[in-house]
Amino acid sequence: MLKGGIESNALKFLTDEDIKKIHQASMTVLAEAGVEIHERAALDLCAEKGARVDYDRNRACFNEDLVMQAVETAPSTVTIYGRGDDSRNITLGGTKVYMGTGGTALNVIDFDRKRRKTTVEDIAKTARLINGLDNIHFFVIPCYPNELDTEVVDVNRFYHSINNTTKPIMGGLFTEDGVDRVINMAAEIAGGLDKLVERPFISFISSILSPLKFDDVRTRMLMKISKAGLPVATSCAPLAGATSPVTLAGTLVQLNAEALSGVVLSQLVHPGAPILYSAVPTIMDMQTMSFLFGSVESGIMNAAAAQMAQFYKLPLYSTGGISDSKQPDQQAGYEKVLTALMPALAGANFIHEAAGQLDSGMTISYAQYVIDNDINGQVMRAVRGIEVDEYTLAAEVITKVGPGGNFLAEKQTAKKMRTEFYYPKVSNRTNYAGWEQAGCKDTWTLAEEVARQILENHTPDSIPEEIDKKIREMEPGIK
Amino acid sequence: MELILKLREQVIEGEEEQVVELVKEALDRGIDVGTIVQDGLIEAMNIVGPKMASGELFIPEVLRCAEAMKEGLEIVKPMLKAGDVKSKGKVVIGTVKGDLHDIGKNLVAMMLESSGFEVIDLGISQPEENFIRAVEEHNPDIVGVSALLTTTLPAMRDTVKVLKEKGISAKVIVGGAPVDEDFAREIGADGYAFDGAEAVLLAKKLMA
Repeated sequence: MLKGGIESNALKFLTDEDIKKIHQASMTVLAEAGVEIHERAALDLCAEKGARVDYDRNRACFNEDLVMQAVETAPSTVTIYGRGDDSRNITLGGTKVYMGTGGTALNVIDFDRKRRKTTVEDIAKTARLINGLDNIHFFVIPCYPNELDTEVVDVNRFYHSINNTTKPIMGGLFTEDGVDRVINMAAEIAGGLDKLVERPFISFISSILSPLKFDDVRTRMLMKISKAGLPVATSCAPLAGATSPVTLAGTLVQLNAEALSGVVLSQLVHPGAPILYSAVPTIMDMQTMSFLFGSVESGIMNAAAAQMAQFYKLPLYSTGGISDSKQPDQQAGYEKVLTALMPALAGANFIHEAAGQLDSGMTISYAQYVIDNDINGQVMRAVRGIEVDEYTLAAEVITKVGPGGNFLAEKQTAKKMRTEFYYPKVSNRTNYAGWEQAGCKDTWTLAEEVARQILENHTPDSIPEEIDKKIREMEPGIK
Repeated sequence: MELILKLREQVIEGEEEQVVELVKEALDRGIDVGTIVQDGLIEAMNIVGPKMASGELFIPEVLRCAEAMKEGLEIVKPMLKAGDVKSKGKVVIGTVKGDLHDIGKNLVAMMLESSGFEVIDLGISQPEENFIRAVEEHNPDIVGVSALLTTTLPAMRDTVKVLKEKGISAKVIVGGAPVDEDFAREIGADGYAFDGAEAVLLAKKLMA
């Protein structure tokens, strides 16, 4: 098992000069175009803190000083905690790499390989499944409970996630009062709001719309979360060619402006509040007008976004390991590896969407979580890179074995073989006869077997009974 | 008996220095040589076998265990009586003429050895007559013929043919990347295994 949090800066698409140019261009955009904000209280706050506000056009323009002051007050590292298990904490910042799930899908490919609408049970099951998969380091609530009334969606999504995994949790919100209710519920589990803020095991996503637009509801959510002092990502998803320039550099300029505007707003509300520089750069297929999540260009831009976040010393919410393919197939395999490996090698902190997602984020698959666990394991192995020291250089061993010998029975081989190589759970790695003897199974089938086995045998620590009873009294709509 | 358990444990750990120390200590305490060998060293390897089959232990670890056991055996060898250590069988193994590859063949040899077989390794690029000579000299139970290159498959066919024509009593088994079950049957071999672990199972089956 390779734990998350290994560092990498092996891949750099941008030179220092490029980074400064993108920064300057974003500053121009924020000062001249500004952002559109549809929440009066936010506009008032911006005006009060020195932004140029045009109330007629709902615009707030930020000069460089104001932006950089927010960058300064925002924490450089944000920790999201494992519930009752510190070994599962993720400390975001610098070049530390963690990979996890993403959302929010409406459909699931179940074990019968049929696609159906997701339910609340799928939230519980995916949480339980990833709790047993080592190379998925956090849980972004991956799907929507289609059968529930909207007013109980948020509490159900968070409750069933918390109850089924002790890994750090993040989720988007669908109702405005859902923010308060989810925070109250989590505070109950933490033993008080102060304890939750001190060691948050849940965190939130409240999106900014591309290009450069804050809607009223999500702005109020962002302000509420930042006021409470809980971690939040602002998930800016420019769609190059459609909602941002077709050039990768231009999309990075806009994305940077959007990500920084999220940081600005959170820091104006509450200096020091944990906020993630949030990047979901994507492209549109200009031939078909399809939204694409798993493009090579996405991978490049996510790697570049990691460099930008590192430039500002801000923790990053990034995107990778995602595919536009409709089922766990060859396309899913290569798109996931491409889009995961690039940001990971650039030191992207919180690579979400990197497990279980297919169909441009609209469909999840139980088997795919297991396959992606292996992809992530191999990506993390690449992140670890090559350790060079006297022992690993092995000149002594090479000399001892000598020409024509072999290394199979060497002590070093036995000592290092489990950590020097990554061993996937669901790859076919034997020779042909071995594969035939094992039933000629493909990756999808093998992954289903592993997923079934985990779901049947793995039981995470659930919410303690006493607290559970209280929460269900508070929120009778919990299924 | 605690000492014997510890000895067993250290063989399984592949700690040869520890094994040597423990065997000496056991001898000092006057523990019977047969007990040291049977209950300590050999019993350890009996535990190792299934652990390898289940994938818990990797082959290099098994080879370490075998090495540790061998080191332990070295010490008590002068004191052993006939029948204290029983060989599972004798195997002559080699790579056919024209093929210089040997990692696969070596792996099979090492695994057979660590499973209790006595192995005579002829080495690489062996012409047919060398296999014949080795059979005459060592009188093995099994002859293992290896090839990695597709271009050396004809040499494998010829080697097996000559051995069979000689009417040797030993079973002839074949293996290597380009070889498969069908080819093995076609050239008249007595068995085929697709990897080292399978080769051990096959050898045991042929000895039964």
